[in-house]
Amino acid sequence: MGGRARSVDAGRLFYSIHMARHLITLEASGQSFPCDAGDTVLRAALRAGIAFPYECSSGGCGSCQFERVSGDLEELWPQAPGLTPRARERGRQLACQTVPRGDCTLRVRLKPDCQPSLRPTRRRATLVSRTRLTADMAEFSFRAGEPADFLPGQYALLDLPGVAGARAYSMSNLPNDEGLWQFVIKQIGAGRGGMALFEFLQPGDTIGLDAPYGMAHLRLGNDRDIVCVGGGSGISPLLSILAAAARAPELASRRLLLFYGGRTPADLCAPALLARDEALARRVECVTAISDPAYAGAWEGQRGFVHQVLQGWLESAGDASGYDYYFCGPPPMTDALQRLLMLEKRVPTAQLHFDRFV
Amino acid sequence: MPLDIPGLPPLAAFDVGGEIYVTSNVCTHNVALLSDGFFEGDTIECPLHGGCFNVRTGEATQFPCEVPLQTFPVIVEGDDLYTEIKDR
Ligand SMILES: Cc1cc2nc3c(=O)[nH]c(=O)nc-3n(C[C@H](O)[C@H](O)[C@H](O)COP(=O)(O)OP(=O)(O)OC[C@H]3O[C@@H](n4cnc5c(N)ncnc54)[C@H](O)[C@@H]3O)c2cc1C
Ligand code: FES
Ligand code: FES
Repeated sequence: MGGRARSVDAGRLFYSIHMARHLITLEASGQSFPCDAGDTVLRAALRAGIAFPYECSSGGCGSCQFERVSGDLEELWPQAPGLTPRARERGRQLACQTVPRGDCTLRVRLKPDCQPSLRPTRRRATLVSRTRLTADMAEFSFRAGEPADFLPGQYALLDLPGVAGARAYSMSNLPNDEGLWQFVIKQIGAGRGGMALFEFLQPGDTIGLDAPYGMAHLRLGNDRDIVCVGGGSGISPLLSILAAAARAPELASRRLLLFYGGRTPADLCAPALLARDEALARRVECVTAISDPAYAGAWEGQRGFVHQVLQGWLESAGDASGYDYYFCGPPPMTDALQRLLMLEKRVPTAQLHFDRFV
Repeated sequence: MPLDIPGLPPLAAFDVGGEIYVTSNVCTHNVALLSDGFFEGDTIECPLHGGCFNVRTGEATQFPCEVPLQTFPVIVEGDDLYTEIKDR
């Protein structure tokens, strides 16, 4: 065959891949929903309003495991750490890293907590500015055509140029009609997402932005005080949560506390970020802590890891169950906080809202 | 299924062929909630790192779980389920 026939075939293949929509059926309920070609099982389910279990959308946590019953499925990231050898042996896959190649049927236990109240959608967004906050953190502002709809505390999945797989980043601003999406992001070593965001992306460049995702969003329906705990870029969703809480009339009499930690004082961007928003500056009680025992400069705040500082504070604060907790950061921090609050302090799990930055 | 009772640590109930077993709902490896995991026969697999426990005995049966899971005696009376929890 000549080159011409091949290119016609290739064109047809391209067309069918990009126009196809597959049908995903859940075995237990018989419920079906469409999945655009190239979309993951997880994202398609959430776009259809289905309570598919998930947390990180990044292949790291294992919450989105399902079993294939029938159909052709492609694994985007076969080595994803979220799937253990045992789960692999049993033929399970991660919905956030799996793309259907045709109609398929799967087995999964839905989780009512994961029911999306806002269904995620894809858009293109343009980098407007990148503002340095510390040596390794910056605030990124992107603008998109339509309103930025999300709940304070939720995250977006960013498709970055030259980076395989999406990266999750939590919005630091409030939902808005102007289509502004802001994120506080920390660059970690030579990570590919960080490299793209900090080194290659320039104002005016566009990225893919799929949002909103995540369950660690502000809950308004109770009268408990709010305790936020984080370190580093964990401040991103906490800023959004606190900004919304500080403006909610029903929370006008509640205490808003932020425990924020870093290695040295130079890492602590939270006080400056609070100071630039009048409502935050007035309402939020901020406790800062540094963890580097060797730091010898001037420092009047707390010392230790931020969960230890919270622990100390709770000793004098009375009943730990009287608060709603929001926390974000690397797994060792969220694990320590879960252990403290869930096991030691017996705070009901429904009052703990957190994201592990896997 | 999870049992969240104010003032008590998180518990989980499992149905093994009609017998109900109650255990702590918190994985002894790293605080994941076992009710989000995968239940097969009498084995609960933790959703986070895939460690396993036998829910009848609490025995840790799969790495990385090594510390046994706390189990609680269960008494079923009609539709009610009683369990005895001694506070530490
Ligand atoms: C829910 C959530 C919210 C987060 N919010 C923030 C935030 O507000 N600010 C912040 O600074 N960080 C946040 N993070 C962390 C962030 O998503 C990145 O993990 C971190 O920035 C490091 O990314 P990297 O690309 O630089 O490093 P890398 O080491 O290149 O990538 C690590 C991340 O990318 C995923 N990944 C790696 N390879 C692939 C692949 N082939 N396919 C698919 N996925 C892959 C990993 O699971 C991991 O999440 C959040 C993470 C989660 C899960
Ligand atoms: S949601 Fe898929 S691994 Fe975390
Ligand atoms: S937390 Fe359960 S196996 Fe690690």
